[in-house]
Formats: sequence, structure tokens, C-alpha cells
Amino acid sequence: MRKMLAVALGVLTAIGGFVDIGDLVTNAVVGSRFGMSLVWVVVVGVVGICLFASMAGRVAAVSGRATFEIIRERLGPRAAGANLVASFAINLLTLTAEIGGITLALHLASSVEPRLWIPVAALAVWLVLWRVKFQVLENVAGLMGLLLVGFAVALFLLGPDWGELLRQAVPPSAPGNEHPAAYWYYAVALFGAAMTPYEVFFFSSGAVEERWTSKDLATNRLNVMVGFPLGGLLSVAIAACAAVVLLPAGIEVSSLSQIVLPVAQAGGVLLLAVVIVGIVAATFGAALETALSSGYTMAQYLGWSWGKFRRPARAARFHVTMIVAVLLAVGILMTSVDPIAVTEMSVVFSAVALPLTYVPILVVANDPEYMGEHVNGRVMNALGGVYLLIVVVAAVAAVPLMIATGAGS
Amino acid sequence: MTDRGTRGEVRLVDARLHLLSRQVLDSDGEPVRTVDDLELAGPDGGEARAGQEAHVSAILVGPALALRLFGGRAPTSRLPHIAWEDVGHLGTAIELTVPSDGLDADWVEHWLRDRLVGRIPGGRRDPEAGS
Repeated sequence: MRKMLAVALGVLTAIGGFVDIGDLVTNAVVGSRFGMSLVWVVVVGVVGICLFASMAGRVAAVSGRATFEIIRERLGPRAAGANLVASFAINLLTLTAEIGGITLALHLASSVEPRLWIPVAALAVWLVLWRVKFQVLENVAGLMGLLLVGFAVALFLLGPDWGELLRQAVPPSAPGNEHPAAYWYYAVALFGAAMTPYEVFFFSSGAVEERWTSKDLATNRLNVMVGFPLGGLLSVAIAACAAVVLLPAGIEVSSLSQIVLPVAQAGGVLLLAVVIVGIVAATFGAALETALSSGYTMAQYLGWSWGKFRRPARAARFHVTMIVAVLLAVGILMTSVDPIAVTEMSVVFSAVALPLTYVPILVVANDPEYMGEHVNGRVMNALGGVYLLIVVVAAVAAVPLMIATGAGS
Repeated sequence: MTDRGTRGEVRLVDARLHLLSRQVLDSDGEPVRTVDDLELAGPDGGEARAGQEAHVSAILVGPALALRLFGGRAPTSRLPHIAWEDVGHLGTAIELTVPSDGLDADWVEHWLRDRLVGRIPGGRRDPEAGS
């Protein structure tokens, strides 16, 4: 019974933890411009993140080593160092976007100027990182994030023409008024949003934090294989809401208030309040994960002691790194940069950075020295190979598409 | 280079594969640093010379990494050392026989602990002991 509860908790956390500001913004933008025609990308992205998150969790559980330690051991200090710089920069961009997302949601709820919320949100993020136990931090944010199910409720209340939505989704094709390059640009962005690299750092380091062993592998697989696809459904619901309300009205999403407009229209103030709490929780949870990831990557590359399970004083450099990362994010936001624009940047550059983390994971998951009998099976490797190709193509295409389309405009 | 294993047989150790970029743990199993570079010494403990026998005298950390990545030289006496005598066991990680508190090479951690992190309220609290 206790075990069942633990499994259910893990699955629910994975669902609520799947959606972050990147998924929220990109899905709404895509829904409002391309209808349901990019849903296939969410499906591809969800399968991909399931594959790699379970692989990263397995590597951490079996070998007891987190991703970046292995990346350095395998690639040497030079290539791993370049990888660290790129990963850290993109992670920082994502952290900035998540903290920006918290402030936007709080602004929406309170109509207090978002810039006043920035220090409050950052302080709250740091306090949780400083004091709260890892398991509590992970589960509470994930469970509260489940409130985003309000988007699915809104979709049903809107009573859309389901046949029409399905026709937009299969077979997928860009709406006539949109340029194909813009379509593919958003396909890459959506893929980057679903497969953000920080999830892999967080997942593998989290497995070490929670002291997983090979006995926990089944739980790991279940959390990921059930939780992430259901989380992906929430993403699709966000896109569908935008496709039903915003697309016909010709509204192009550029703010959080437009993203939640369909919810307000369908469910009124009550549902809107529920969804806003969900957005705050989802972005807050993701801000914690990205801040932790910045500490994890740096500490694992340089061999420092790290982890929430240690007293902060026993992992001083790790905690200082996280404080610096949060302060940098605050600094970026204080320049009045639009958090929605930062989010769009962060998902595209996530797509660029994907091969940096996924290639080493795939290599190590095949190495019997680390994995013993738990090396990848044939099916896993076949899927891993296909995804390697997709990830590399998306990474190579991202920047040219961004330049060609003027970042999708 | 050779290392006498627990059963007394001689094991071959590849410096690049088994030493460089490996995690160093102290006697309590706490991470200290990653091996950034190695210092070689001659038979008399002086400088290692070509054509003479040489052995690993210390693990170098910190600035040694920047020197390896970007080139340049620094007097080895200035680089943070972990003496090879303190190494107890070579496994997937390198285990020391001394606690990290006594290591000069770990001074950044100690400095941040004493001056910053340890002084913030809750900095020395055990997170696992309930919240």
C-alpha cells in the first residue's frame, strides 16, 4: 500500500512537473498561429524525453554517478568544459524565463507591477533551495502543477468542434497563410521545449539525491513512461485552447494574459484562479529544478561536494553557485526584458544544446563498465539512434531557421 | 605505474584513463575535487628528468585545470596539491586517507563555508532531519 502510494505520487509529480514556462508559452503561441498542426512534435518530444530521462535515471541509479561527472570522465576536461559553458548558459536562460514566468503569473493575479515581484520570487526560490528537503520540494511543486489540468477542463467547457481539431492535427500541414520556414521554426522550438536539457541533469542528480539503486529502476521507468505522456497531454490541451479561441480571433500570443484568455472565457474567474495557481507552481517548480541544475552541472564537472541531502555548509560551493545563478537571473529580468521573449529564446537554444547532453548519456548507457548488466537493450538503442538523428537535425536547423524567419515573426 | 591491490598483485594503472578527471573523495567519502593534473617527481623527490625514473608525487587541482585547458606555466609550488601519500585506494574514484578539513587544496570550500554559507541562518542545519 505504501509502495503504491509512492508510485502514484511519483507519477503525479511527473505529470505536474512536465509543463514549465517553455511548454506553456510555446504551445500557446503555436496553437494561436498553427492550430493543432504541430501536435505531432509534442508527441515526438514526449517520447524523446521519456527515452532519455529514463536512460539518465538508470545510469545514475546503477552507477551512482550523475550526468556531468560522467561527461567529464568520458570527454576529458576540454570538450566537457565547452559543454559545461554551453549547458550552464542555456540553463541560466531557462532559469531566467522560469522566474520571469512566476512574476508574470503573480502580476496577473495581483496587478502589482511584475518588476516588484522579481526580488520576491527570487528570494522565495532561494529560501526553498536553502531549507526545504529535496523530496518535499520535488513533490509539492509537481502536485500543485497538476492544477494546470484547468486548461483541459477549459477545453471541454469551450465545447470545440473535435472533428475540426483532429483534421488540423492529422495529417499535419502548415496553415496557408504561414510560411513553411516559420512552421519548421516553431516545430524546433516546441521540440526544444518538450526535451529541455535541464530535465536530464535534474533527473540524474535527483536519483543520486534520493539514493536510488538498481532496485528503484522499475519505479523510475513507471514515473517517466506514465507521467510524462500525461504531462504532454496538458501541453496539447494548452495548444488546443489557443487553437479554439485565439486562432479564429486572429490573436497572436505575446503575453501571459492572452495564454489564459481561453480559460477565463470558458470557466470564468474560478477556473482562471485555479490555472494561475497552477502556472505559479509549475514555473516555481521549474525554477527550482533549473537553479539546482546549475549547481549540479558546475559541481559535478569540478568534483565539488553537492546535493540537497548535505548540510549547506558541507556543500558550500554548490550553494554559492545556485545563489549566483539566481542573482544573475534577477539581474537579467531587472533590465525589463520581456520574459516571454526570453522563454522563446531559451526553448530554441535548448534545441541547439540537446546533443551535448544526450550523446554522452547514450554512450554511457551502453558502457558495461558503468552499467554492468543494465546496459541498453536493442530496442532502447534503436530508439536512441533514431532520436540521436532527430536531435542533431533539430540542433543544426535551429539557428538557421531562427535567422531565416526573424525568430518566427 | 603500478599499484599494489588488496590481494597483493600488481595492477596496471593508466594515468589518463584511471587518474585524470576522476573524482577525489576524502576519508569520509565526501567529494573534494576532480583530478585536474598530476605532478611527477624524480627518484630523489626533486624534479622529474627525461630518461630517469619518475613517480606521481601529487594530485594538482584548481588553477592546474586552467593551465591544462589554455596553456601557460606556473611554478608547481603555487598550485594546490594533494600529496600522493594521502591516497588510499584507486577505484572508480580516488579515495584519500585524510579528511578534507585538513587539506589545503580544498581551501575555497573551507573559506566559503566559514565566511559565507555557514553564517547564513540554517547553513549548518541537516536537511534530512525533518523540515
